[in-house]
Amino acid sequence: MLLKQVPDTTAKISVSGGRVDESAVSKWSMSPYDEYALESALQLKEAGGGEVVAITCGPARAAKMLTDAAAVGADSLLHILVEDLSTLDSTQVQAILAAAVARTDSDIVFCGKQAADTNAGSTGPGVAHLLDASCVTMVSEVTSDGGSITAMRASAGGNERVAVSAPCVFAFDKGITELRRPNVRGIMMAKKKVAETLSPADLGVDTGGSSVSTKGHTPPLEKPPGQQFEGAESVAEVVGKLRDEANVI
Amino acid sequence: MDITVIAESSGDGLHPVTAQLVGAAASIGGTPTLLCAGGVGATEAASIAGVVKVISVVGDCFGTFDGGAWAEALNSVAGGDVIIAAASPSGREIAATMAAMRGIPIVQDATGLAPGITVTRPIYSGKAIETSTVTSPCAITLRANAFAAAGGGGNADVSTVNQSADVAVAVKEAIAKAGERLDVAEADIIISGGRGMGDPANFSHLNEVADMIGAAVGASRAAVDTWDEIPHSMQVGQTGKTVTPRLYIAVGISGAIQHLAGMRTSKYIVAINKDPDAPIFGVADYGIVATWEDALPALKVELGKL
Amino acid sequence: MAYEALDFYDIDSLLTDEERMVRDMVRDWVDEKVIPNIEKACRDGVFPDEWRVDLGEMGILGAPLKGYGCPGLSYIAYGLICQELERGDSGVRSFASVQGSLAMYPIWDFGSEEQKNHYLPRMTTGEWIGCFGLTEPDYGSNPGDMITRAEDKGDHYLLNGAKMWITNGTIADLAVVWAKLDGVIRGFIVEKGDPGFTAPEMTGKHSLKASVTSELVFQDCVIPKDRILPDVEGLRGPFSCLNNARYGISWGAIGAAQSCFSSAREYALSRIQFDHPIASFQLVQNKLAWMLREITKAQLLAYHLGKKKDDGTWIAEQISLAKMNNVDIALEIARMARDIHGANGILDEYPVMRHMANLESVKTYEGTHDIHNLILGRHITGIQAFTREP
Repeated sequence: MLLKQVPDTTAKISVSGGRVDESAVSKWSMSPYDEYALESALQLKEAGGGEVVAITCGPARAAKMLTDAAAVGADSLLHILVEDLSTLDSTQVQAILAAAVARTDSDIVFCGKQAADTNAGSTGPGVAHLLDASCVTMVSEVTSDGGSITAMRASAGGNERVAVSAPCVFAFDKGITELRRPNVRGIMMAKKKVAETLSPADLGVDTGGSSVSTKGHTPPLEKPPGQQFEGAESVAEVVGKLRDEANVI
Repeated sequence: MDITVIAESSGDGLHPVTAQLVGAAASIGGTPTLLCAGGVGATEAASIAGVVKVISVVGDCFGTFDGGAWAEALNSVAGGDVIIAAASPSGREIAATMAAMRGIPIVQDATGLAPGITVTRPIYSGKAIETSTVTSPCAITLRANAFAAAGGGGNADVSTVNQSADVAVAVKEAIAKAGERLDVAEADIIISGGRGMGDPANFSHLNEVADMIGAAVGASRAAVDTWDEIPHSMQVGQTGKTVTPRLYIAVGISGAIQHLAGMRTSKYIVAINKDPDAPIFGVADYGIVATWEDALPALKVELGKL
Repeated sequence: MAYEALDFYDIDSLLTDEERMVRDMVRDWVDEKVIPNIEKACRDGVFPDEWRVDLGEMGILGAPLKGYGCPGLSYIAYGLICQELERGDSGVRSFASVQGSLAMYPIWDFGSEEQKNHYLPRMTTGEWIGCFGLTEPDYGSNPGDMITRAEDKGDHYLLNGAKMWITNGTIADLAVVWAKLDGVIRGFIVEKGDPGFTAPEMTGKHSLKASVTSELVFQDCVIPKDRILPDVEGLRGPFSCLNNARYGISWGAIGAAQSCFSSAREYALSRIQFDHPIASFQLVQNKLAWMLREITKAQLLAYHLGKKKDDGTWIAEQISLAKMNNVDIALEIARMARDIHGANGILDEYPVMRHMANLESVKTYEGTHDIHNLILGRHITGIQAFTREP
């Protein structure tokens, strides 16, 4: 399980001094697509055995997210401590996560299709390549039948059932089953599951010399004030604006 | 700077975003070579202005989508320092895999590019904008409709290369879309009807528009309370669902405070109402004062053109 | 918009990780299951059985009890559970209070080993629902003079009498009933199906509509000898149970108040009148500031009381103060919130009037506001002022 802690999708994001102010984020949560991936992993474990290892690469506050994963059933927790993820580029993050996965001897990796903060989607395919594993993205369901693994993924016309064999990475979209809630028993047991904490250096990954350098953050562009139009003749103009000005269609 | 552009296909032809990728590549001083996976859209691609060369990559692996195999095949053929693709699901996967193969960084979903290479992109689902510089070589995916498309009239060389790779993802079964309506709570685009629709049967017009743009159909409390045919699950508002779509189109909805509470934080709001004083116009980005009978057919026509 | 609970003095920082996780688990469940369905449940006058199942699965029934499959959580955690449930609806919290503090607790504290092993594991999972029979049609604030009586008939007890205002009664699998045996109040476990026992539902309520309120009627009700709670006599029995429930209510009221405050604040910021949001008017700000003040005080009261419950240094009068104060201000806050919502406040579009109506019951049950005041008066002066007797 590759899990990422992000600002809760309902939290306000404020920019101060040209950077997003992380200290002002009111709530941190597991990235939503990761939640679906975790649910699917737990179901796979319940159906066919095995263990779920929850891995995160992030700052100290991400430890709480690992505890939440333990509370719903993750068996062991691995925390690669990186205080500021923005100092790493995609090759470095993927190297860290691939090394972490290799360390756990897992042959099936679950993750969200993209994290709710970067909205990128590079981690699944990138880590798959580094592990010499196949990759399926836009997954909504994974089932295993002894040796073969089947996944349901989105396609142009709807969905497709695909077959892969391990080692494999599944990058999840919204899954089809409801996410399980933790319960008191899970919460109590989670207290006992201590995360193993490592540094990127422990995994042999160099965190210097990132190729991507953040220059700054700004709040989203102010929308122009509302415009009012008369009559159905104006629909053409509005649709054009929706496409070109607003970029929403 | 040699730039490899991964062409984006749509069905049997080229997706319009491809011309935008070329335009963007040119804007940062790049000379774009287009790669067409499976050869799809190669002829069209050659006619995009500014394209230096089109390589039609054909092979067995391009029969069905396997991001890893496609990336491997394309990567063997791709020269260039910079890889540019569309930030579509397949574009993101192929570009990310190629980047990992080359050991180069990737930045996804850019909405702005400048020489440097300076990349601008939305983060936190659009709640902030990030500007960063990426050193070449690198891979970048671009958001659709954020860049000006290159024009036509080009006449690039098209060469065909046979290149396949081992397929690891075997497609067993295609399952057509269930045809079920999207849930209001999750949709990116919502079109809602209020009591101004006059009759629940008229919601069929909203359904038609929704089908055209992949939207969910919602309703105001007034509509849900008045008509049994409009179920509570469609209700947007204080006691219905609170939604934050990219685009919310309110048709025949006056905009009472309870409804606004449910949709006010939509990114963009379009209102169609015959009453110019309806409160909904106070929150609409684009307000159209017209009857739905006049406006909706026009909307269908315009959306059909896109 | 996600719910943001007012926490002005950062009580959150005083909680353990486990307490926070339990609170968040219940908060999320209330958001997902209660908030979208409560207005309908209220209109229909039903307590959805699905909620019983969910509460059981979450493992929060009988929260502070240890052993016999029970959660064994801290009293702070129990308080947080009540707070989050009541943010949804007082009726939901009433279900949990009755189940845990009034039905499970007496068995846990005063029952035989056989009784504990038989009932508690199935009650904590929500499989069996319990209720608490103390109040009678003519004996509310004065339970000591109850007339429900039990007679020892050799191989069974015979119960006669009636109880009223019993939460969960009609849906309960068992009832912990307090009745006089030879003039001494004892506890008896009556099960659904015992001959001579019926539990009709009380209808026509304007308050706690999403909760089942019943009468318990005993007409020559025959119960086996092993159903008596062996280890308690007199009012100490029911009062111990009530203390626990009252403690939970002192937290629950905070949840209701937070819900009303949240709604009032959001409404005041959105409602435009005279070209300005009403949140910009001084009288509205004054009301919101008063709500913030009282909620903050109530939180500190409840939190400190929870610590005392956890370390065993509490006295009953401290619970009386918290229950009485927190429910009183919650009701005032609900009324004030309704006022801020204007006419919209009477619609079930907003939760405020539902909370307001519910809190009327909460102010009266588990010891009326006035009774708790007299409990404190007796504590202060040493003189009881409940009755005219010397």
